[in-house]
Amino acid sequence: MKRKFSPEAIVLVSLLVLFIIITPRVLSGYSMNVVNIALMFAIVAYGISVMLGMGGQLTFAAVSFMGGGAYFMANMCTDRLGINMPTLPALLLTPVVFAGIAFVIGLLLLKLSGTYFTFSTIALVQVTYAFYNNYKPLFGGADGISGIPTLNLFGYKFTSYNTWFYVLIFLVIIVAVIVELIRDSQLGRSLAAIRDNETAALTMGINVYMTKVIAFTIAGALAAFGGALWCMHGRFVGSDMFNYLNAAQFIIMAMLGGVNNTVGIFVGALLVKVLPEILRSLQSYMQLIWGFFIILLMVFMPTGLAGLYEQIKANIKHKLQKKREGAGQ
Amino acid sequence: MKPILRLDGICKNFGGVVAAKDVTFSVLPGEVHGLIGPNGAGKSTLMNIISGIYTADKGSVFLDEKDITQVPPYTRARMGIGRTFQVPRFLQRSNIRDNLLLGTDLGNQMGYLNSFLRKKGTDFDAELQELLEIAKISFDWSNDISGLPFGKLKLLEIVRSMLGHPRVMLVDEPAAGLNNKEIEYAMDLLHLASKKRGIGVLLIEHSMDMIMDICEDIVVLNFGEVIATGGPEAIASNQLVIEAYLGGEQDD
Amino acid sequence: MDFRLFCTLALNGIAMGVVYAMLAMGLILLIRAVGVMNFAQGDLLMFGAYVTSSLILDFELPLYLMIPVSFICFVVIGLVFMFTIYWPLRKASYPAATIIATMGASIILKELATLIWGALPRSLPPIITDANGKPGILYIGGIPLQWQYVLTIIVGAILIFLIHMLFEKLYVGKMMQAACQDSYAANLMGVPAIATISATYIIVVCLASVGGFMIAPIYMVRNTLGTLQLRAFAGVVIGGFGNIKGAIIGSLIVGLVEVFSTVFLSGYKDVTVFMLIILFLLIRPQGLFGGKIADKA
Ligand SMILES: Nc1ncnc2c1ncn2[C@@H]1O[C@H](COP(=O)(O)OP(=O)(O)O)[C@@H](O)[C@H]1O
Ligand SMILES: [Mg+2]
Repeated sequence: MKRKFSPEAIVLVSLLVLFIIITPRVLSGYSMNVVNIALMFAIVAYGISVMLGMGGQLTFAAVSFMGGGAYFMANMCTDRLGINMPTLPALLLTPVVFAGIAFVIGLLLLKLSGTYFTFSTIALVQVTYAFYNNYKPLFGGADGISGIPTLNLFGYKFTSYNTWFYVLIFLVIIVAVIVELIRDSQLGRSLAAIRDNETAALTMGINVYMTKVIAFTIAGALAAFGGALWCMHGRFVGSDMFNYLNAAQFIIMAMLGGVNNTVGIFVGALLVKVLPEILRSLQSYMQLIWGFFIILLMVFMPTGLAGLYEQIKANIKHKLQKKREGAGQ
Repeated sequence: MKPILRLDGICKNFGGVVAAKDVTFSVLPGEVHGLIGPNGAGKSTLMNIISGIYTADKGSVFLDEKDITQVPPYTRARMGIGRTFQVPRFLQRSNIRDNLLLGTDLGNQMGYLNSFLRKKGTDFDAELQELLEIAKISFDWSNDISGLPFGKLKLLEIVRSMLGHPRVMLVDEPAAGLNNKEIEYAMDLLHLASKKRGIGVLLIEHSMDMIMDICEDIVVLNFGEVIATGGPEAIASNQLVIEAYLGGEQDD
Repeated sequence: MDFRLFCTLALNGIAMGVVYAMLAMGLILLIRAVGVMNFAQGDLLMFGAYVTSSLILDFELPLYLMIPVSFICFVVIGLVFMFTIYWPLRKASYPAATIIATMGASIILKELATLIWGALPRSLPPIITDANGKPGILYIGGIPLQWQYVLTIIVGAILIFLIHMLFEKLYVGKMMQAACQDSYAANLMGVPAIATISATYIIVVCLASVGGFMIAPIYMVRNTLGTLQLRAFAGVVIGGFGNIKGAIIGSLIVGLVEVFSTVFLSGYKDVTVFMLIILFLLIRPQGLFGGKIADKA
């Protein structure tokens, strides 16, 4: 289709290339860390995009799986349980294992629909958080697990945040492309159908239940993958990351950029992590401004920044068309 | 000829309301079968039972002589029961192309993985082109579906259903809200479906002109019960039918 | 477990259950009235606790002045909440948008409280104290019961009863509900939807805030009180959505389960409460008292 080579796509790719070239050259240490975390969060947020953006299913479960992935990684690679896997296979194994776990949990929870389902995911977050926070043998309790080795790629160790950046941006792009391919395939369309009308979806031959379970599985695998990266990148995993408040934060992050827009998710994740750092002088008001911003966005542009962009584009197109018609007469 | 769709003794109650009472009839391949009756007679309910959205209290549904009463709705759709709704149901937040591709997805049945891996299915664009020419529809592809007028939406829903290559099509009031030209296009589409593709069409419609024009056979429902069956002439002169319509809505 | 401990725990559990029930009742009133799940419900409780405690600690108002003044505050909070978080969003095309907006409200309430009253928890003395300023104890048959818990139960129960009567028994309340659900019909009857919805929001804020005031001496006034709403959610689920009686009983169950499992499972008390919800959702998604709602095709 022609839209793949639209000027829009060219601009986007150029911006991305600039971002990749410039960021690691101007940032280092703490600020690089912030950007890297934003990238890992973006991977998790892409899972929410598949569930909420495509399928209209509001889930809080991202942090449960993110935590699962992180603790799995930590246990596989630190010799805590006598297992000492190399980091790369462990990293690749994580999404596979948690796809399986998410599939089973999805089979159970998606028997519920709408608000019931959302509540069950909140309950799941509370249960997993209680375990992450208390059960020492697997999760290290409130102290968490430290001393996690960093990623080792065929002998090369990623010890600085700046080298990590390249790995992470590469993975984010892969995930973004996968999500975009899903959107433009039967699965994406089926999810959209479910989001708009489950009854009509059924009559279009869509197995609503199974399709939701598949989306939940994908979201779980992505969250776990993000979690595994996160714990290797920070060399530590603690339970604080995986509570209800952070679960809400991930949903807000996805909504902010545009929950059904692949570029929007990326931008949203960056904004949520980076903006507070830039506006540090406003620190004590930052959260407050943030809250107002969320409400304003929901009131005026529930499809997020991506929606805002689309609307502006449509307006310009409309105006141009009018002008042309005016000139033609 | 063997019927493609057969209902056998279908009963359905909603609380105290009888929506279907011992309904039995069948639809042949390649025929347009009218389903008429006053408002609230139970026509849409019957379609919901055939497509599996409601379960019948009693009775069975057969597709190509196979009992599908226990089959879930999405499997019925895949087995070849296509349908349109009284009020068209499209994805409001998607573009037109994605909406129509859902029909082709149903026709292809390649599964999510194959589709993700970009396996080739039927030629969507060619097939759609043919249907759109009959429906006389043209539009800007990139637009949202919500921008289309109601009449076009109703025609497009028939088109989408046909893209799914059904064996039976349940069409609920296609002419309601259409102008005369559009009604003609809708009839052309149904003609193509039944006569050229051999699809059995079950048609609910209030416009008697349309029913009398294209139906080979007609079932008349009143209060959930079949009160008459037969060809257009027989139905038009049937005393029970005239009474039912006069007793219901006079100005229909 | 000895009998005295059992009684103390049961009292604590019921008191907490009543507070959850106040939150849960508000949740259901909002679901019924405007169909919105409010994720800032717990923060309303937290904010109410700050407002009331500030009137007592900072303005040193006596109880008889504090009550009307705080009521005026609740009315203002309710109206502001409704006109910012709900009214502009009532026709939103993305259903999640209204929910996310309440999450934004949750952040705002929490940050406002921190900015106004500081990040440190404040302690509010119990309503009834003994001669030494310690929490007052009520002895029944030799069993010591803390007055604050007893009062929480009494105040909460009275409030819940009154509001229940208003909505279920009185003509005005029924009209209000009808108005919220069907603004067209309500406007015909001469009740503007905006007035009834505002009234509902005010009632919801009052319920939550009074709950916050009652438990302030137990938990201290802190900006994390908002997380109590998760337990109210649990109560709503167990009772069945949209059913007030069910939500009250569900909340009491949650309070009791929580208190007793704290004794046996300390860190895992959340596991029992929330596993209970998951089980409930799977086995009986309509809750204890709910009915099923079907889509008309
Ligand atoms: N989901 C439902 N719940 C309750 N009653 C229903 C439901 N669906 C249809 N009915 C009732 O069944 C009867 C038949 O309705 P319907 O099939 O829509 O009629 P028609 O399409 O012939 O106008 C009506 O009285 C209607 O109110
Ligand atoms: Mg009908």
